[in-house]
Amino acid sequence: MKALFISFYQAFYDEVMEVLEKNNVTGFTFWEEVRGRGSRGGEPHLGSHAWPTLNSALITFVPDGVVDTLLADLKKVDETAPKQGLRAFVLEAEERTA
Amino acid sequence: MSIYQSAVRKPVTTALVYVALAVIGIFSLTRLSVDFLPSMSDNTILVMTTYSGASAADIENNVTKVLESTLSSVSDLKHITTSTKENSSLVMLEFEYGIDITEATNDVRDKLNLIADYLPDDANTPVIFKFGTDDIPVMILSVQARESMNGLYKILDDRVASPLSRIKGVGTVSISGAPVREIQVYCDPLKLEGYNLTVEGIASTIAYENRNTPGGNLDIGSETLTIRMEGEFQDPREMEHIIIGHFQGRSIFLKDVARVEDTIQERSQETYIDSVQGGSIVIQKQAGANTVQICKKIIEKLPELEQNLPSDIRIGIIMDSSDNINRVINSLIQTIMVTLILVVFIVLFFLGRWRATLIVAIVIPVSLVASFIYLLISGNTLNIISLSSLSIAIGMVVDDAIVALENITTHIERGTKPKSAAVYATNEVSISIIASTLTLLAVFIPLTMVGGMAGEIFRQLGWIVAIISSVSTIAALTLTPMMSSQLLRLKNRKTKGFDKFYGHIEKALGALDAVYAKALNWTVRHRITVILTATALFIVSLFLFNIVPTEFFPQQDNARLQMTVKLPINTRSEITKELSFRIYEQFRRDFPEIEAMTFTVGQASEDNVYGQLGDNGSHIMTGNIRLSLKTERERSIQEISDAMREDLRRYYPEIRTFDVGAGMGGPTGGQTTVDLEIYGNDFTTTDAIAAQLADLMESVPGTSQVTVSRDEYAPEYLVNFDREKLAEHGLNISTASQFVRNRINGATASYYREEGDEYYIKVRYAPEFRQTLEDVQNILIYNSQGESVRVRDIAAIGETMQPPTIDRKDRERIVTVTCVAAKGAALSDLVEAASQQIDKVDIPPEIMVSIAGSYEDQQESFKDLAMLMILILILVYIVMAAQFESFTSPFIIMFSVPFALTGVLAGLAVSGTALGIMSMVGLMMLFGIVVKNGIVLIDYIVLCRERGMSIMEAVVTSGRSRLRPILMTAMTTIFGMLPLAVGRGVGAEMWNGLGITVASGLTISTLVTLFLIPAIYSLSAERADKRKQRKAERRQRRALKETN
Repeated sequence: MKALFISFYQAFYDEVMEVLEKNNVTGFTFWEEVRGRGSRGGEPHLGSHAWPTLNSALITFVPDGVVDTLLADLKKVDETAPKQGLRAFVLEAEERTA
Repeated sequence: MSIYQSAVRKPVTTALVYVALAVIGIFSLTRLSVDFLPSMSDNTILVMTTYSGASAADIENNVTKVLESTLSSVSDLKHITTSTKENSSLVMLEFEYGIDITEATNDVRDKLNLIADYLPDDANTPVIFKFGTDDIPVMILSVQARESMNGLYKILDDRVASPLSRIKGVGTVSISGAPVREIQVYCDPLKLEGYNLTVEGIASTIAYENRNTPGGNLDIGSETLTIRMEGEFQDPREMEHIIIGHFQGRSIFLKDVARVEDTIQERSQETYIDSVQGGSIVIQKQAGANTVQICKKIIEKLPELEQNLPSDIRIGIIMDSSDNINRVINSLIQTIMVTLILVVFIVLFFLGRWRATLIVAIVIPVSLVASFIYLLISGNTLNIISLSSLSIAIGMVVDDAIVALENITTHIERGTKPKSAAVYATNEVSISIIASTLTLLAVFIPLTMVGGMAGEIFRQLGWIVAIISSVSTIAALTLTPMMSSQLLRLKNRKTKGFDKFYGHIEKALGALDAVYAKALNWTVRHRITVILTATALFIVSLFLFNIVPTEFFPQQDNARLQMTVKLPINTRSEITKELSFRIYEQFRRDFPEIEAMTFTVGQASEDNVYGQLGDNGSHIMTGNIRLSLKTERERSIQEISDAMREDLRRYYPEIRTFDVGAGMGGPTGGQTTVDLEIYGNDFTTTDAIAAQLADLMESVPGTSQVTVSRDEYAPEYLVNFDREKLAEHGLNISTASQFVRNRINGATASYYREEGDEYYIKVRYAPEFRQTLEDVQNILIYNSQGESVRVRDIAAIGETMQPPTIDRKDRERIVTVTCVAAKGAALSDLVEAASQQIDKVDIPPEIMVSIAGSYEDQQESFKDLAMLMILILILVYIVMAAQFESFTSPFIIMFSVPFALTGVLAGLAVSGTALGIMSMVGLMMLFGIVVKNGIVLIDYIVLCRERGMSIMEAVVTSGRSRLRPILMTAMTTIFGMLPLAVGRGVGAEMWNGLGITVASGLTISTLVTLFLIPAIYSLSAERADKRKQRKAERRQRRALKETN
């Protein structure tokens, strides 16, 4: 089980959802409006006067096997508009039932 | 969820909301009535008092002054003018615009009740009249008649006026010019003398013989019946056989001493329509009725009515106000269409996307339609003001949609899907869209608060633009993103032909961007030069004030002229008539533009109130001329009236004074006038000064006509009875005067009744026995003993001059010298000339001369508007300061305002237009419009700076990026105004000034703004930076000291 944290420009919402659906990921947690800036020179999304756009963030927990295809699909989305930014981070996760 | 988000997510709801708005709007449009001007509140009340037998001077002292002093305390009164003539006094109360006239009327009535006891006993109770825009006739019909002339009044009354007044919405229908039937009993004085009879005796005998008497009730069997004696004449000829006296045992019949004529009133006005005698029918509408519909119904009804008339009667139309309205409205609708197409093309030119252009083309009409709902709800009409407002609004309201659309397109080009782009791009610009609408509201809402005449007109303009721009803002935040999300495509597939064509434009626009960036680069390095050049430009442009003349309202060409020609006073009406025919024939020959001309000569009868209010008299001819349409002739109405004045002056030396006037009169009417008002009590002095000023003004180039208000002194015969001699013969003044009056003016004996109408029976000397002074001297006066004496034995008859009508204004006697501006002469030139001429005249200290007329109205309105401009500037600044949360940025942006003035002056000077009310309003609108450029530019510069650019870099980058939106919004507004500015259609002259003002002001201001604002910004930003730096350094040093 891996946790996938995706932070992306708001406008990519539909595309991200499509990717999740394509890979049969049904569960996720979504923050519609978050502020953020990347570290590779893309456009900041700060909701300020200078940078009025906003990011969204999403975390989903998926089986290990899906991670690679998911990441590949997300990269495709990112490449359609590299300056706008879409980043996915993979974390270790563990599902436990008491 | 924000409003644009829900709009994009619910396209069906959003679309249907706007469909509903459009449907309600179109429904309102079908319900709106059409009129020329918005209905203005009335502001004039007339108080007329008649006092038979009193001279002008007596009435002035006993009636007019009393009324003046009481009525002048009525609140909101602007001017009180009075005109006192023999027998009557007319007080005109002019109130401020926008007051409740009903309340004012009640006030006036209360005051009149208060002083009723102080008026002379013989004076009649004062009558109150109200006049407003609704009293202006909607239609005037002409009636030509030949054989039926004598019966015309009755025929018209029964068969035309009554059916017409039954049409819904028609108010009063009055007939003028048609002679009224009267039964004349013309006596021979010699025979009367021979039989010892008097006019009075005959009159009372006729009255006794012409009577129906009820005889009470009679019970017959089981019934009660009334009994009646019928003695009224069935035919006027019966009168000839009544016995009026006995002489030497024989009965004397009326026919023995007099002849009975069933004819028309002796002294009456005669009207000629295209040289055929006839009359006119004046039709007024009920308050609030739809002029266009009424006129249409009347025209439909006319052929039917004409069938019932004798074959020699022909009905024509002298004036049809709906005709003018329809033309003006049609030319305005054309203007709106042209504006719409122009604006859409500009959007296409800059955006280069069919679908985006389509969105703009849908959003504009939707916003416009909303204003119809306002018009219907507020009870307004579709008129020249409301439609022009629509045309004005188009170019401005499109900005909101453009700003939103431009940003959405940019986002899509960056690769965002249309749906998301629509939401997030709209979100980014929503604040600046709202702010720019607020600046517009800051201009147009105060415009609804202007007072005076101008306020009545601009209230609608203000509300309509305010409403349209609010709706367009809401549409820009909902409808535009919704449609963008549905219509725009991520990959812009352009058709090949368009692609090729637009490729060139795109290249040119790109080159323009580059050139501007380069120029900006130079500008920020030569800031002081740029600022100084701009300042110099502004100062130089101020000198244009000397070239640009000022006016009040533009002169309108509604193709009608009014004319009054006065011959020396007391000229017989036959001579006046003969001259009128000569003028008519000459005018018809020399002015092919004349379509119809009617003229009226003669004195109005005493019971004709409307006739009495106007100029009338045996020496006066009043004419009404209808010209062909403005668009169908070469000479303007001003040129034609100038030429007519020239002809009257040159070819008819017998004319004493004349007045040719264009248009409807009033401040929005056809001509510009300067009134020189001479206040003073002494007739001789004021007359002399008036004559002198009139002479001087006549020689001023630019005056086309000068008239003096005070009439000539009228010569008259004065019968002076000697009281002692009267007493010797047992007579008094009243009896003696009455005898003379009855013989010349006639005694009303009774009424002749026929078919429900009553006609006077008048007894007097036959016309051939009252032609010389001797005839008057020979009149016999009887005392109660039946002894007779001739007038010559008890009275001296002398010739005197009767004082003219006494005009007063604001409780002082006044003479007005009215100067009409010739074609091309502006109000300001005339005023300047007038004040120079006044200085030349030696004016005694008790006499006051002041300049009024259009000038007074202009000064008042200009003062109001100047106040308003300050208010608007402050409001605009506040809106901007709130948006930027800064004091300096809006201050910098405000520098584009002076250059609007530069552009306005240049535009007016080049086009030769005068600075009038309309240009002033245009200038006010510019305050709200020109700052938009600055807002867009400065907003982006600040944004770039926040993104970390240096000042120079930020200025150049944002200039390059914002050039197209600025040019696009400015050009839609400029081109939106062009159709108004260059319009030549009927009624277009009113809006030319405003169109030119906004178009030229915005052009120059935009060009200057593009360089000056960046220069000033970089200068002030650098200063601020340095100050910050120095402060930081100081703090650092202090901190260092402290640590040491």
